[in-house]
Amino acid sequence: MNYAMSLDYQSCIDCKACEVACKEENGVQLGADKQRIWVTQIEKSIFGQPFVALHPSQCNHCLDAPCVDVCPTGSSYFAEGGIVMTDKDLCILCKGCMEACPYDARFVDDTHVAVDKCSFCYETRLVHGEVTTACQATCPTKVRLLGDIDDEESDLVKMLKERKFYVLKEEEKTVPKLFYLLPEHDDYYAMNSVDPSTTIYTWDTFKPIVEKAKAKRKPQWKKIIL
Amino acid sequence: MEKNHPINFHINSVGIKTFLTDKMMIIAYLFLALAAFGVIEMIYERYFLLSATAFDAGLNPGNRDVANAMKEAVFGHGGEVKREAPWSLYIVNYMYMIYVGSGIIFLVAMAELFEVEIIVKPAAGFLTLGLGMLFAGLFTIMMDLNVLNVYWMILSPQFGSGMWLMMPLYMVYIPLVILEIYLILNHQKEWIKKVAFMIIVVGVLVEFVEFYVQAKLFDMNSARHLWTTYPILPLYFMVSSFAASLAIMGLYSYLMCKSALLMHTLERGALYFVLALGAYEAIAYLFIDRKWAEIILFGDFKYYFYLYILLAVIIPFILLFKDYLNKYFKLIASLSIIVGTFLGKAIFVYGGNAYPMSDRFGAGFEKYGEYEEVKEVIFFMPPWSEIAIVIGSLGIILFIFRVADLFFGVSVVEEKN
Repeated sequence: MNYAMSLDYQSCIDCKACEVACKEENGVQLGADKQRIWVTQIEKSIFGQPFVALHPSQCNHCLDAPCVDVCPTGSSYFAEGGIVMTDKDLCILCKGCMEACPYDARFVDDTHVAVDKCSFCYETRLVHGEVTTACQATCPTKVRLLGDIDDEESDLVKMLKERKFYVLKEEEKTVPKLFYLLPEHDDYYAMNSVDPSTTIYTWDTFKPIVEKAKAKRKPQWKKIIL
Repeated sequence: MEKNHPINFHINSVGIKTFLTDKMMIIAYLFLALAAFGVIEMIYERYFLLSATAFDAGLNPGNRDVANAMKEAVFGHGGEVKREAPWSLYIVNYMYMIYVGSGIIFLVAMAELFEVEIIVKPAAGFLTLGLGMLFAGLFTIMMDLNVLNVYWMILSPQFGSGMWLMMPLYMVYIPLVILEIYLILNHQKEWIKKVAFMIIVVGVLVEFVEFYVQAKLFDMNSARHLWTTYPILPLYFMVSSFAASLAIMGLYSYLMCKSALLMHTLERGALYFVLALGAYEAIAYLFIDRKWAEIILFGDFKYYFYLYILLAVIIPFILLFKDYLNKYFKLIASLSIIVGTFLGKAIFVYGGNAYPMSDRFGAGFEKYGEYEEVKEVIFFMPPWSEIAIVIGSLGIILFIFRVADLFFGVSVVEEKN
């Protein structure tokens, strides 16, 4: 099992239902800056015509996550299923993981005086046998899809075989597992909402990168203790 | 003062009145009071400021505390730690105190090793000063951490983490330095000198490991390219720290020893490190990531950076290069280096966070919260509690030094007695 998520970001309508569902389901601290997931708004223009690009995002659950390496107590760790987890009881608030994360996916949960981040709803949903995250379940336009990239027959891998995608900040070599899907019939429009230098992948080109990173880090995957 | 002699060790008898009314102690108490104010404020902000989760809001509708916590969440400062800039003044002060303090210890150890005559008398004083700076740095970092969970550093060690490696290092290093001071104060015994020699050799090794581990810690934060692209980061730490160490030792010799020759020797040493620091910075910015370099050299940080170069390199160079006899030139040069290198550390830490990580899609910077503006440079003023703790940490140095001086006579003045 190797959990990952695809995001059909061009379908996002910025309704924020995912942000609310995440907070409600996981008991995340209240506050605009205290978010496990969020929708980014980037204002741009093409030939003087303004438009807003919407990018839903969260922890990328990187296969080669730098946040785990800096943690002095093992509070941040690789869990079974390739999920990057945090154990708040072990956190000494050194904030090294927040500095190491290229995606600023972490924040300080003041209610626990510890660092918090997305866990793919492991504690609240996956452990109970559910196969979706709260954000996925609540999304009216079906932006997100959680799945197992080790299973070639999973809906996620089938989707990735059909659609091109990109990942965030690949130059950091963290092998992130949020796959941003390009629109099927409008590459030109899609490429205007990302950096022109962004590498566009197919599953066949990205799979070897995943396998290499997994082989390196799998020995560190630990059992999740709740 | 009357002397007691437990276990062949001289301890001065110090009256409680002397302890309370000594001038340096009074200054130390004032700084410590400021630190105490900061600690109380920090504890309130971190552990007692109301915060609520979505569960609280759902389970306790109408609860006054939950309502206040929600108000704080929307209209407050958003908690003690900013998501965009997790490291701030605490880390600057920790780095400065630890590096410069251990730099002093290193230089004294080297002088002992090579039997530099001029350092022999003030050696114990210098080492106590360095030790005080180490404790001031450790105090600062402990205030930055969630101290209630720090025991996990021992119960759940992560040997590959640079931050974890710092702990055993100091657990070895600090007792060594204390033992070294003890041995210097008891310099009559030949066998103690031999042990001291071994300790100094180990101390030199520890010094290099420390700079390496600190650099490793910053280098592990792969997303902050200012830190990862600084070429040979341990070298920067060494050069900058030794310049400040020598400047502080020069200031100490001016205030405590009144030795023009010692001050002259230390300032000449400082001049070489100041020149090396200037050369290092000039070369470093050829390698540093362009995004960060632009912000620091030509963007919002430029005036701070040029002020740092002016204070840490240019002014000391002008005042020290021609070897003027005027001791005030040396004093000004020392103060300029001390302030300048601190500013340099601040630019290093704040600069690392300056380029927002939120440019994730390469299409422009993102907002972090609904109520925030889009920012192209990240900078936050630290809270007052943090400023008070950092300034107050000077009290720890003064307190440790003066207590050691009163009871054991570590300063050169006392040693003459």
